[in-house]
Amino acid sequence: MATTSPTETEFGEVSRIKGIVFKYVSFAASIVGILALGVLLAYVFWDALGLASAGTGWYLAYTGTLLVPLLAFFAYARTRPAVVAGTFELFSMTLAGVLLTGAGVIILSIIASPGVWFAYFLTVVGPIVGLYVYGQYDREATWVGLAMLGVVLLGPVVGTLGLGPLTTVGSLLGSPGIYFLSLVVPAAAVAAYLSAERLDFSRRRSLGIGVGLPVLAIAAVPLVDTVPAISRSVWLIGLVLLGLPAGFAVANTARTRERWPAFAFPAIVVLGFLAGEAVVTAIGATPPTPWLDWQYVTSGPSQTAAEAGLYPAIIGSIFLIVLVSVFTFVFGVGAAIYLEEYAPGSGPLAAVTRIIKVNISNLAGVPSVVYGLLGLGIFVNIESQVGPFTYAGFGVGTVLTAAMTLSLLILPIVIISAQEAIRSVPDSLRQASYGMGATRWQTIRNVVLPRSLPGILTGTILALGRAIGETAPLIMVGAATTKFSPPSGLFGKLTAMPMQIFAWAFEPSDEFRYGVVAAGVVTLLVVMLTMNSVAILVRNKYQQEAN
Amino acid sequence: MSNEGQAPDLAGDRGFRSVRESAYKYALAGCAVLSVLTTVSIIGVLVLDAAEFFAEVPVLAFLTGTTFSPNLEPVSFGVLPLVLGTILITIGAGALALPTGVLTAIYLSEYASDRTRSILKPMLEVLAGVPTVVYGYFAIVYVTPALNAAITGLNGVFGTGFDELGLFNGLSASIVVGIMIIPMVSSISEDAMSSVPDSLRQAGYGLGATKFNVSLTIVVPAAVSGIASSFILAISRAIGETMAVVLAAGSQPPDMPPVQQAFGIPYVAPTDVLGLFTESSATMTVAMVNIAQGDISGGSTAYQSLFAIGLTLFVITLAMNVVSDLVASRYREVYE
Repeated sequence: MATTSPTETEFGEVSRIKGIVFKYVSFAASIVGILALGVLLAYVFWDALGLASAGTGWYLAYTGTLLVPLLAFFAYARTRPAVVAGTFELFSMTLAGVLLTGAGVIILSIIASPGVWFAYFLTVVGPIVGLYVYGQYDREATWVGLAMLGVVLLGPVVGTLGLGPLTTVGSLLGSPGIYFLSLVVPAAAVAAYLSAERLDFSRRRSLGIGVGLPVLAIAAVPLVDTVPAISRSVWLIGLVLLGLPAGFAVANTARTRERWPAFAFPAIVVLGFLAGEAVVTAIGATPPTPWLDWQYVTSGPSQTAAEAGLYPAIIGSIFLIVLVSVFTFVFGVGAAIYLEEYAPGSGPLAAVTRIIKVNISNLAGVPSVVYGLLGLGIFVNIESQVGPFTYAGFGVGTVLTAAMTLSLLILPIVIISAQEAIRSVPDSLRQASYGMGATRWQTIRNVVLPRSLPGILTGTILALGRAIGETAPLIMVGAATTKFSPPSGLFGKLTAMPMQIFAWAFEPSDEFRYGVVAAGVVTLLVVMLTMNSVAILVRNKYQQEAN
Repeated sequence: MSNEGQAPDLAGDRGFRSVRESAYKYALAGCAVLSVLTTVSIIGVLVLDAAEFFAEVPVLAFLTGTTFSPNLEPVSFGVLPLVLGTILITIGAGALALPTGVLTAIYLSEYASDRTRSILKPMLEVLAGVPTVVYGYFAIVYVTPALNAAITGLNGVFGTGFDELGLFNGLSASIVVGIMIIPMVSSISEDAMSSVPDSLRQAGYGLGATKFNVSLTIVVPAAVSGIASSFILAISRAIGETMAVVLAAGSQPPDMPPVQQAFGIPYVAPTDVLGLFTESSATMTVAMVNIAQGDISGGSTAYQSLFAIGLTLFVITLAMNVVSDLVASRYREVYE
């Protein structure tokens, strides 16, 4: 650090060789791990994508149509922050939309069947969203918060009591009808609101968007029916969860003239791919034979390497991520808020707070395999009876057991990172809020949480990335290493991507070792690295805004 | 909530306000209590089942037995071979990661420009983020064959006669675990080095010291407790590491090396220890995974031994975490 002393060079006696050698040795040490991992990753990608078998023509074609234009685009965008921001927004919103759609399909139609979703939509989700939107519209209405609290408390009760009749009503509508009413119509309202408030569209245009979205949803149905892979339900869910964020990104980019070049990025990707295909077909070049292809992600495991796939494990991992993120976010952020904002810092109870904090940091260091034993002990094996209620665990290797075990595993990490994010909110902001007469909860909700949310999200996503790769706790709670169908519900048995990789890695044949497993590893890494890069992007965006 | 922006209604919803405030407070306190419950249940689950195990197998026999075969008759539950396997892997991983990590930390904190650091640090963090099962796969599919090729090459050139590695061996497991824990050492050590006050460095330069001298004789000693705590944490992570070792090191616990006597003092020949790296070397975590995967019935002694080993592992790693905390808190007192 600091300044380099000129005496280093002026006194003849001081040997610089030792220092220079040391500098380069320590530099080499800092890249040795990265290089090792880089080489291993290169090997596994090479194997998974079967690049060895591709002809030179194939490489040349795609270099010309895809790689060179992309590099040129990046070189162009490098010096233009507006283009970078636009590209980033287009890319990340589309990616978020794809992830949301996946999670949406799983939550809305697999975990909760359409009928059940419809019942709770009518009694809980719908009223809350409606009240929230009304509260945004009429800021004078003091009863909105109270009403929302009431819906949260009473809605589930009403929904559960009325599950029978409401499900019957839902079945009259059919699942596409349910998604149209519960997703597309509210989304149209949100789109109209966003385009008027955030994008400053004229009243007529936002109204047009609000009406256009349901019309599009219905008008495209004949087209969707011709595609066998997409059902009407998936189309409606995708239209809302993918179309809304992607459309917002496109509109926001189109609004600013300096951002227009960002549209070149998706254009280059799509056109470059099509052109590459055309050239390869025209010159008859040998394409690679990837192990990681569409068949791989849509079929189950198999004895023969060529037919083996990862589908049940991918779905199992998505189940886990969805559940674990809900559990850990709620409990982790709750615990962090309590420890930072409420827990007594002085007086006789301060010692208890200190013990809890030390305890959490120690929990973060407990090996994951021990958490597996914990899951085995309290979610699988314990049977107890309290009065009329019998608790018999959540079953061996079920979705719920695995998700609870992983949640406990990453909870300390989430709490610690959320604590750090909350601690970094300046105290002056809290004082200002109290000075305005706000209560402690109002201060937390309106001042502390919005400020610390990006930090909390970053920590949570990184912890989830860790949870998605965990294998040992799942083995401990008895999750299957190989399963031929995805889990059917919360009490269905599951397998996850790392479990399947673990099972396959012992296969002796080269086709499995260098092909099928490599493809599984690449799938897992792509999911993980995507999650981690989302976390890093959230952090960077936040840091820019804080400056 | 939506009642800001209106004239304060000091008399009106006071009661509702205070009820809501304490409702939120206790709900959040409940979340915090969950972590305490987790600890209590970990200890409870481990101790209760381990107690049943120790009713069958004496503690002394468990801690000093030299064979571990929970499934084959005659069953025996000596934990020593598993501890030996764990120590082997940990030493191997530490020998790679500790020097590399400290040198990395010195480079990042003392030599690297801000730009280099902002690129290298996230890249290093990726090392720790890769799932451990993937490291295990790397070890058996790429690292072991590469090491074997290197050994064959060495034997061909120098005629050294090294043994080829087995399909499952301690060496490649140590290497991948070592790569995995480098970021842990480097990031904690770097934090410790960065928090050494600049005035100390300036004083060093003022005396005419070179950057090399300042780094090694001022910064490193001043940050030594942070470095030590990073070592302990990384070693504790290596001890608890499971999947990479399960895949790479195989399931056979290492044989206890023969103990020789020299001048009446027992010792183990270093060559015997080194030789163990070429063989399968199951650790405590590996034994747990194997037991959990086998067809064991709940309540059998083999099943309960799972919790006895888990308890041993938990106690070891917990003790190391506590020690590291104590060491780290000492250095915090010095520089704040």
